[in-house]
Amino acid sequence: MPAANQIKVLVVDDQLSMRKLIAGALMQIGFRRIFEENNGKAGLAHATSSPVHLVISDYNMPDMDGLEFLKQLRAHPLAGKTGFIMLTGRADATLVGRARELGVNNYVVKPFTVTHLKAKLEQVIGKLT
Amino acid sequence: MDPIEEIKQTFFQECEELLAELETGLLTLRAGDGDEETVNAVFRAVHSVKGGAGAFALDNLVSFSHVFETVMEEMRSECQSQSRETFDVLLRAADLLVDLVREARGGAVVATERTTLMTTELNNCLAQNAASPASECQSEDQFEPLMEADALGFVPQQIIFDDLDGDIEPTSSGQSAQIWSIVFAPHNDLYATANDAVVLLRELSRLGEIDTVLAMDSLPALDAIEPEHAYFSWTIQLTSDCSEDDIREVFDFVEDECDLEIRRLSNDIQAAPDTDTITPAPNDIDRFDAARSELLGTDPASDALISDTRTATTEAEPDETVETPAITETPQAQQAASPQQSTIRVDLDRVDILINLVGELVINQSMLAQHAGVSGFSKEQGVGTGLDELERLTREIQDSVMAIRAQPVKSVFQRMPRLVREISAQTGKIVRLETEGETTEVDKTVIEKLTDPLTHMIRNAIDHGLETPEQRTAAGKPAEGVVRMSANHRSGRIIIQISDDGAGINRDRVLEIARHKGLISHSEILSHDEIDNLIFKPGFSTAEEVSSISGRGVGMDVVKRSIESLGGRISISSTPGTGSVFTMSLPLTLAVLDGMVITVGDQALIVPLNNVIETLSPRAHKIKYLGPHERVMALRDQHVPLVDLGHLMGLRDHLMEPSGGVCILVENDAGAQIALLVDDILGQRQVVIKSLEQNYRKVDLIAAATILGDGRVALIVDIDAVICSRQSSSDHTIRPLEQTSLAS
Repeated sequence: MPAANQIKVLVVDDQLSMRKLIAGALMQIGFRRIFEENNGKAGLAHATSSPVHLVISDYNMPDMDGLEFLKQLRAHPLAGKTGFIMLTGRADATLVGRARELGVNNYVVKPFTVTHLKAKLEQVIGKLT
Repeated sequence: MDPIEEIKQTFFQECEELLAELETGLLTLRAGDGDEETVNAVFRAVHSVKGGAGAFALDNLVSFSHVFETVMEEMRSECQSQSRETFDVLLRAADLLVDLVREARGGAVVATERTTLMTTELNNCLAQNAASPASECQSEDQFEPLMEADALGFVPQQIIFDDLDGDIEPTSSGQSAQIWSIVFAPHNDLYATANDAVVLLRELSRLGEIDTVLAMDSLPALDAIEPEHAYFSWTIQLTSDCSEDDIREVFDFVEDECDLEIRRLSNDIQAAPDTDTITPAPNDIDRFDAARSELLGTDPASDALISDTRTATTEAEPDETVETPAITETPQAQQAASPQQSTIRVDLDRVDILINLVGELVINQSMLAQHAGVSGFSKEQGVGTGLDELERLTREIQDSVMAIRAQPVKSVFQRMPRLVREISAQTGKIVRLETEGETTEVDKTVIEKLTDPLTHMIRNAIDHGLETPEQRTAAGKPAEGVVRMSANHRSGRIIIQISDDGAGINRDRVLEIARHKGLISHSEILSHDEIDNLIFKPGFSTAEEVSSISGRGVGMDVVKRSIESLGGRISISSTPGTGSVFTMSLPLTLAVLDGMVITVGDQALIVPLNNVIETLSPRAHKIKYLGPHERVMALRDQHVPLVDLGHLMGLRDHLMEPSGGVCILVENDAGAQIALLVDDILGQRQVVIKSLEQNYRKVDLIAAATILGDGRVALIVDIDAVICSRQSSSDHTIRPLEQTSLAS
């Protein structure tokens, strides 16, 4: 049972409003160490230079989308095992299939409630305290 | 503001940018210039609007953007090869999306029929593409995962938290990294012995990664603060492979002057669920939980709050940490870190205050220069050069501050494509809008006031200027008409041109109407240009029938007036068969003005320099009287009305003898000229415009006020008003130059 407040989470989304909402939801769940980046490229740079435990990334972003971000993160020798949760606009089988191949840990369809996000997180982390 | 409401406002701002991107993208694609990235940007825009709208439960917006997105998704593969008509539908759908966002912001309600109709139209596009139509999505819950994870064949993968920090963090060396909790509360003596908490925290940060939380609960109200007392304490979480002794060493010199508590926490995150092991000072929890629940509307959790201060904390002043109890990394911090972010948003009021202050500075500087000149100081070497330097700097500051207010005309220009689409749909005319010089910058106030006149002129250009496709084809022109809108800088002013390739002005018709309406006499013979400019006369409207687009009679005269109220000029030139060009010339700023300082009686007045043509010494034999109060002055081979400004403004009872003063030949934007008789000319200078209406009330014949170097208020003469008052009072017995046919 990991303590949510110990887990470093990186939120990656091109929209400031979405980042704020996700960060707000994570705060409610109990996360405290929350970082933000606004596209895959910046997310990758962050996650590989200053490691986090978990990435929550949007799929649809300019510069580098969520799938490419995931692919490159997985290829990284040290940060390759970072947890990765993809946010998608719809439950698209093709997209989820690609993400699975690339080693995504879970996915969440937007919009979501705090409870829903927590459930999705607990599926892969275990019960959060 | 409610934090959720605040995020919503952020979302709306993003929507504006996204929708502008959507429109630009669709226009690019329609013109056949788009690439894959354009297609992606267009999709992302609709997608992001939908996503955000879903989060805030903006149902109308969600359902329509869903339809929009679905239709575009279907077209995606051959998006670049869609017909022009399809893009027109998509553009109108984008317009509807703009209106729906506006509705969600509390603007005008969008009629349901419009959404339904647009949905049908979008689906029709799909039908043409032989795909299945999208259904309007009614409620948010359809966006809950339609398929459970297993339905998509997805099995969540467990995350194993390895020693991430230990593996990669350069500051720590492998498995031995520890997490330490340090509570540091300085006594008053600490500061008294010239130690500094910031230095100690910085020293601590050298040992590893630190997360710092400041407790400032013991800080009393301002009036109770003892300047020499220590009120702050810090809770620091240090991740490092150092020993406790290493940490104690940092505080070696201050150990007796502070409360220091050092405890080791676990370094294994999975094995560290026991929140009791982290016990920051109770004050911290209370304080930050309160702040957090305020921010998020949530119940304070009992666990420890460790704010991330990776970016700045240890270097920061204590106050800064207090200002931003950085619960997440602040966007500002990120923006500062990211190289491409080089702009900041500033409240307009702040800029206006700055502009005002600079205005005061300019006035003060000129007062100082004047006083120094009078008392002979400026002759002394140091003072003189100092004053010159001050003047130069003041001018530079003024220019820089004005540049802050300058904005590209793009914000106005980009509203026009939608307008063109709407009017072309209403009139059945095929129109292409071309723009040029969107990046040309001009004062924000000018930009704001440009929208209405420009809208009106674009309407006119399409409604009256362009012919119907049939007429155009018959005349051997392409069926598609072109309206061009351009902006550029020329000699300190901004020039905006709106041109069309329509039929040009029908001068016979214009003359006929002008005569019919009594705007000109039947005997008057006018040049082509003069005929063209008749359309700016009040009450003139050439539309065969009043249309809903160009309105009733409130045509170009209104445009002209609003341009003039900005200190601008407008003119038209037209070639029959090939089109018309409207040219507007506007000042770059409304805050300063180059003026000529004159005196009338004991008053100092300012005449705007751009109205002044020349100055003359009046000779008695050049003046002719037309009745007791009317005088004209011979000027080369013409006569111009001579106006005693002092008498006109009621500053003296009797007309001044011309030989006692100086004449200034002025012209208004319409080209009407008069000679103003004034006592003396003091010089030319740049003056800061102060609104009379805001500070006092509207005064006839006066445009605004300013403050002179000697501290006196000087009024700025409204030349156009003076010329107009002149024309009405004389009941057209004397008309400005070009309409007067007096022999010299």
